[in-house]
Amino acid sequence: MVPTEQAVPVHEYLFANARDVDAPWQKDSIGLEFAAWGRVWPTDSSIERPFDGDVQTANIRLEAGPAWARVGRQQVAGGAARYARFDGVMVGARHLGFFLEGYGGFTVLPRWNDRPGYYRLGAAADTLLTYVPPTPLRGDHWLMGARVGYQTQSISGSLSFHDEQVTGGVGRRNLGLDVGAQPLNVASVGASALLELDSMRFASARLWLDATPHRLIDLGAEVLHTEPALLLSRQSVLSVFSTDGFDEVGGTLSAKLLRWLRLDTNGYVEAYRGTGPGARGEAAARIALGSAYPTLFRVGYSRVIAPKNGYQALRVSLSRKLSHRLSSTLEAYGYFYDAAVAGYKTSSMYAGTASYQVSDPFEIMWTASVAQSPYASFDAQTMLRATYHFDAAAKPRLR
Amino acid sequence: MELRFPALVLWIAMALAAFVACQSESALARFPHQLHLASIACGAPGKPACLSCVSCHDIATHDSGQRMPKAALCERCHRDTHQVRAVLAVAPVRPSGEISIDHDKHLAMPEIRGQCVPCHSGVVDPKRPSLPPMSQCFGCHEHAEQWAQAQCTPCHEPAALRRTMPQTFLKHDTAFLRHHGSAMAERSQAQLCQTCHTQAQCQACHDVTQDLSVEKRRPEQIESGQVHRGDFMVRHAIEARSQPARCLSCHTVQGCDSCHAARGVSANVANPANPHPPEWVGSNPSSSNFHGSAARRDIVACAGCHEAGPATNCIRCHKVGGYGGNPHPRGWKSARGVDAEMCRYCHE
Repeated sequence: MVPTEQAVPVHEYLFANARDVDAPWQKDSIGLEFAAWGRVWPTDSSIERPFDGDVQTANIRLEAGPAWARVGRQQVAGGAARYARFDGVMVGARHLGFFLEGYGGFTVLPRWNDRPGYYRLGAAADTLLTYVPPTPLRGDHWLMGARVGYQTQSISGSLSFHDEQVTGGVGRRNLGLDVGAQPLNVASVGASALLELDSMRFASARLWLDATPHRLIDLGAEVLHTEPALLLSRQSVLSVFSTDGFDEVGGTLSAKLLRWLRLDTNGYVEAYRGTGPGARGEAAARIALGSAYPTLFRVGYSRVIAPKNGYQALRVSLSRKLSHRLSSTLEAYGYFYDAAVAGYKTSSMYAGTASYQVSDPFEIMWTASVAQSPYASFDAQTMLRATYHFDAAAKPRLR
Repeated sequence: MELRFPALVLWIAMALAAFVACQSESALARFPHQLHLASIACGAPGKPACLSCVSCHDIATHDSGQRMPKAALCERCHRDTHQVRAVLAVAPVRPSGEISIDHDKHLAMPEIRGQCVPCHSGVVDPKRPSLPPMSQCFGCHEHAEQWAQAQCTPCHEPAALRRTMPQTFLKHDTAFLRHHGSAMAERSQAQLCQTCHTQAQCQACHDVTQDLSVEKRRPEQIESGQVHRGDFMVRHAIEARSQPARCLSCHTVQGCDSCHAARGVSANVANPANPHPPEWVGSNPSSSNFHGSAARRDIVACAGCHEAGPATNCIRCHKVGGYGGNPHPRGWKSARGVDAEMCRYCHE
């Protein structure tokens, strides 16, 4: 039995960003960023909190000559850090193409401890979670790291180190190597590797090539090797288990056949040691017409073959600007599963939006969707979104 | 409730809508600049004054939106106000966003001699773009150093670049999404990506603690490659098996468990439902259903429910002396000693 509730949650997102603010010691040397969200749940609920929210980013960035520092809630991404948010300090400097960066602080923890925080289509119960893991001790969760690199017009690379502590000890301790080069105008190559320092094994390694052999054709090729267990927290008992590697090789091809027609395809073959291979791929046609009132039509077919189950999917999307201020989209998805899920072999979803630009900074959008899936015989959702952009101060400086 | 018939109707409606939408474009694709500049009889007695670029475009204004002439100016000669407004609506597409360019300074250069056409050749040649491509700027300007440092300003305004993606250098095509983290790590955090992007934009996808996911907040972005679009609830187990490490880019295993626990399918709830097939555990390791091979292939999925520190039920059999055997890979080593807290769970 799944309990049902009538709910009209109201969400608010706030972003504030200031760049290139003059400081007494240097022009264009201060930047500020703030992002937060909040939610009010005005209807009665025995499970949902009446208010929820979080600060995502709140930091100030200062520059002085070749050096810079950022203080506050921020993120570090890429390389050994992969992706981490923290409350702390990040400093860096660059000179003659070389750069050096270091950071440290307390890891940002989810407000109520890893509540998934995302709704999934067709599952009202997703909003009715009752299980809450034990509260982590915030003082035990901290991180630090550094990155040194070199970049020029045609090559760039960095060596990075990241150490993240959790309750009990090391959560992640990685060394990352990321390099890229553009030896030709029409081709670039890159590679990355993540070494897990506790076990001294490579958690992942990737090599890719992007090329544009003709101005209307884009090609990409990629090889990936991953040891998923090494990406788990080092405080996970399962992270020390012997596991099989996962390898993937594939590529993308995009061809602009006509001024209004583009074909996008991609295909990847996956090898899991010990079981049969898997594969995934997609082929899509994109039609773009019109300039004053552009119309975009996209139809895509995708296929995923994975152990135990796979699926085929058909996705049709249409975007149309109806007038100077009114835009709309329509989408339809159909999924066809190789093996039945909860007794169903298909699911479908239909969604549409209508946007009205009330004025240059103010837009209202209404969206609705209906769906049928193995987890919900009928699902309907709707949302009204109002957006206001305070971009007045960022107009182009045309002289 | 099955939606087969409505589904068929909707699929057909989508196809029809696409067909109608594709047929209904009626606005002019391009303003006839050459006609106005060179083909109108002018200057003679009884004829209108000859036009130049500045007759219609005020290059000294500070807002590019105002550089388009007002309808009233066109209506001095054209009586069809509806057509005038339709033509004015055909604003040129700015593939590189707004450019901060000093027109007065450029017009004074001897190479340009006060002419607009050397840069805006598209106004007389329909095969060329009305706005100069960046390669044309590079014909005169050397920006190698700025290029290397990814300093797009002061030519490109950050606010304008926000909706622009590079066409050649660091193209944001579909493959880029797969290795964008590494592309970011290759360069200084202060450079390149942050020329256009804020950290909040990264968190739109990566911060999974938000109440609404990005595909819910931005449903109008029909071309986005967001993995959770559509019926992800049903697909998620297939996707997780297909690319075992991908979920960990954003999610922790606790994130999986809190959802599974809510359904009673978790080792962390009392009297859990057992999702495993017969002979998953027991005395028949040769069974095709035995958990060993599945665990070796996708340990992350196991962790989704069974990661519970000292309460992890794998320990019971796989600890030192347990009949499950040594779980470590061959040649296993660790920087930690066996007296570390986590190691002691098995090495007591």
